[in-house]
Amino acid sequence: MKVPVEEGYFRIPEDPAAPPVLLGSFSPAAKTYFWPRRKRCPITLEPVEDCELSTDGVIYSWTFVLLPWLGSMEADAGGGFGACQVDLPEGVRIQAPLDGKMGDWSIGQKVRLVTRTVGKDDAGNELCAIAFRLTGEGR
Amino acid sequence: MSMNRDVYVIGVGMHRFGKHDVSRRDMHYAAGLAALEDANISFRDVGTLYSGYIGGNMLDGVSFAKDLGLTGLPVVHVENASATGSSAFREAVMAVAGGSSEVAMAVAFDGRLGNMAAAGGPRRPTMDTSLLPAAFFAFWAVRRMHDNGTTVETFAKIAAKNWNHARFNKFAERQAENEITPEMVLAAPMVAYPHTAMMACGAGAGAAAAIVATREVAERLANSRPLVKVIASQMQSERYQPGHVFLGAIVGPSESTRMTANLAYEEAGVGPEDLDLVHVHDAFPIEELMYYELLGICPDGGGDRLVAEGATTIGGRIPFSTDGGLIGRGHPGGPTGLAQIWDVTQQLRGESGARQVEGARIGLAHMMGAGSVCVVHILKREA
Repeated sequence: MKVPVEEGYFRIPEDPAAPPVLLGSFSPAAKTYFWPRRKRCPITLEPVEDCELSTDGVIYSWTFVLLPWLGSMEADAGGGFGACQVDLPEGVRIQAPLDGKMGDWSIGQKVRLVTRTVGKDDAGNELCAIAFRLTGEGR
Repeated sequence: MSMNRDVYVIGVGMHRFGKHDVSRRDMHYAAGLAALEDANISFRDVGTLYSGYIGGNMLDGVSFAKDLGLTGLPVVHVENASATGSSAFREAVMAVAGGSSEVAMAVAFDGRLGNMAAAGGPRRPTMDTSLLPAAFFAFWAVRRMHDNGTTVETFAKIAAKNWNHARFNKFAERQAENEITPEMVLAAPMVAYPHTAMMACGAGAGAAAAIVATREVAERLANSRPLVKVIASQMQSERYQPGHVFLGAIVGPSESTRMTANLAYEEAGVGPEDLDLVHVHDAFPIEELMYYELLGICPDGGGDRLVAEGATTIGGRIPFSTDGGLIGRGHPGGPTGLAQIWDVTQQLRGESGARQVEGARIGLAHMMGAGSVCVVHILKREA
């Protein structure tokens, strides 16, 4: 069974084909969305409402990471990984790993949220974080 | 901030940054003693000590201070990620400005790979650690290339400059025997596109210290050296910006630098055109490039031209990272901000030897701390 690596950031639908759902906040006073959830609006300091955010967005920026640690000359054991910042339609920008290989990505491409397994808990559940994957649709 | 009393830097000291195995305790002692000797005072003269380090044993600050003496002075541990040293310095400045101490000292240190790694660090993956600093600043770089047409050669030129500045700093982590070229920087292994390993800051061990005091004390100790006055000390945490990244961001919006610098300029009564040298949080060259603009050294979008003209090299119009910066001098998280103060102070005194900025009168030191905070200090030489 897949479970979030930490509670409160996203939920995993029962339908295995459905993308994970980001758990965000909406500030009625500032008319602004946030992720992850805020305890209060950081702009107005007023209360916020829980909401769920879009699963699709566009790449704001990307990179391919080979040597993760500053000052290190030791390559990532997995041979590197993509990463991106994505703008959601609600005006929220989030960053996460990005499926694919160097050369696959460009700013403005459409991506969709997916889960990525990062370990197992004591009960044998798959611990999942979020990542993005190109939708294959045009810009 | 309003300073009730003028504050002066009266002593600075360092232990070499780098991948050596000197204990944190010994580095702390060496840097602290060097600052005391530079100021020509005894530890007994220090009213308050601010000890900066990241993630180490909670006893380290006060315990290591015993090596300098048991005088009963207040000792406070300061921790603020990469801005730890800058924050410790600011606390010392506040102690003197506010009247609680005539003399205050800031010392900061970190071991190899940071104390956090030595302490074990987080083991189970978390949402907030799924990406690393190398990725975060690469996002800035790729977006900059898209928006402004910045080339990887520009990043390489900035990194090569800082490596070459470090060649003249005996305390720098990276001391290349021969001149570093942009081609060499580009040929290094890739860290995170478009940054190579020679563009990434060094992350070794090290320590640095600074002592500040009132004008009366500074004048008494000057011994014909010019006085170095702290004319601005500003810190800001994040303010919301469109596109704000809350999770996994290493530092907040780049605008934090503009906001903090503007406050510092206002406090100091000077503008970017008055600066003679600048230190920034150049963990990767994209940062230094953007800070040229965010600090008002050039118009937005004009940073690439500054690099092409060599304006930020020693001997240029406005030298940046004159001791090598984070890329060349190195960046142990705790002491980096104090290493900046060490260099600016020496530059303003005219004591920097081969890396001296001729006629330097005003220097700015900028640091970002993950989380995040931005700290800006401006120092000025008085005749």
